[in-house]
Amino acid sequence: MTRRQFLATTAAAVSAGNRLRGRSPCVLLDLQRGCLRESVAGYTAVFQPRVVRAHMPGIPHCAVVLVPAALEISPVAARAIVRCLHAGATVILESAAGFLDQRAFGTERAVLRDYFGITVEPPVRLWPRQTPYVDYLWPYAAKLRDFSRVLPLGPPAGEPIAWVDNLPVALKRRSGRGTLIFLGSPVGPALWAGDAEATRWLSAVLATVS
Amino acid sequence: MKKSIGDNMIPKEWGFERGLDLVKKAGFDGIELWLGDVAWFQMTTTDAEVRDLRRKVESAGLVVSNVSTGLHWASPLSARDPRVRAQATRIVERQIETARLLGTDAILVVAGLVTDEVPYNEVYQRCLDTLRPLGDTAARAGVKIGCENCNAEQRFLISPREFWQFLNDVNSPAVGIHLDVGNIHDTGFAEQWIEIHGPRITRIHLKDVLKHRGRCGDQSVYTNLFLGDNNWPAIRAALTKVGYDGWLIAEMEARYRYAPDQQFYDTAQAMDRLISGRL
Repeated sequence: MTRRQFLATTAAAVSAGNRLRGRSPCVLLDLQRGCLRESVAGYTAVFQPRVVRAHMPGIPHCAVVLVPAALEISPVAARAIVRCLHAGATVILESAAGFLDQRAFGTERAVLRDYFGITVEPPVRLWPRQTPYVDYLWPYAAKLRDFSRVLPLGPPAGEPIAWVDNLPVALKRRSGRGTLIFLGSPVGPALWAGDAEATRWLSAVLATVS
Repeated sequence: MKKSIGDNMIPKEWGFERGLDLVKKAGFDGIELWLGDVAWFQMTTTDAEVRDLRRKVESAGLVVSNVSTGLHWASPLSARDPRVRAQATRIVERQIETARLLGTDAILVVAGLVTDEVPYNEVYQRCLDTLRPLGDTAARAGVKIGCENCNAEQRFLISPREFWQFLNDVNSPAVGIHLDVGNIHDTGFAEQWIEIHGPRITRIHLKDVLKHRGRCGDQSVYTNLFLGDNNWPAIRAALTKVGYDGWLIAEMEARYRYAPDQQFYDTAQAMDRLISGRL
């Protein structure tokens, strides 16, 4: 990263943090047993979003919806997320489906395809490997810790934004009036563990939300 | 102080009851039972079978000093996979349950495992999150969880102050340290660990360590008491200083090639000498 990029990113992150803390435009959809709890804890600690439960009929109007480390997205939750996208929200949908058994993964894969138009390949166990990072290319180049398993993306239904071992594992694309950012490698646990780079990167992502 | 030794030291072909006789004859007061490491004490062992183990221990004139396990090396509390973590938690819960059935009040837990895949900060946070509720469970059962210092093997909580801070962060009176004086190697001095942790020590594992071997070779660094580099007079003095009067549990790695029962006699005699302070 150049000095100019660093300063721009830092300023954007600080600005985003202030906006988020001030007006709480950020909502976290807590899938409860259908997600990794430490990811929920990570996003909650860092971004202090308003938390809504998955069984609620709707997600309040907001600029950003965070869906941490989803293992199982119910149709009710999926429809609520889609409504947010149509209303113009940016949704960060993080999947932890790499930790599911084969049958449960099949179900989750269908949800991602049917509701969000995302095709994912079966999970890949990354370890043993030489470097423990996922390479993100947007909004700036960053190396974030992998979380042992990833969901590689199938035929691109958006712009790939992260790669691991030559596999695309995250994308962003327009969806309705909003933007969908899909992460096939959970970042929330790194936030929870106090990873400063993960916090910087997500702050920079949120700073892109107009 | 009382002497104990692990049932995983009993020669495999001997069986539990013959092993108990040996432990008693060698002069030990108690036995440490290793959940999952011996045929007679597994996760599938029923409550009735555990009670029968206790009856056999007491019939041999011994008591159970504590319940340990090596199962957390394969299923660590710090695992990323929530299913592995749930299994690790279940292992601790079963240790607590069986400790009550066996009439003891302490268990040994290997709290977390730092690897090139699962980094330190995650392990630390995850161990806190899993140990806090387990501390509540243990407190209700009247059992203490002793997190063992496996410094080199765990690559976690390497220094005594770091371990002390970890226990502060867990913040449960039912969670302390199961101090292994042989595991410290070149990262410090056992007597200083004893001083720093004092009343938080739940049990003590004894073995000696050959520091000059380090951890790089294929030879074991562990050896019998008084054959290695631990400063035993300092360790004994530190135990007196902090008022430790609980169990000393032999955890020997080296086994005699011939006459395996001799290790029990030799170890018991060495422990007697340590306890008496004739060093």
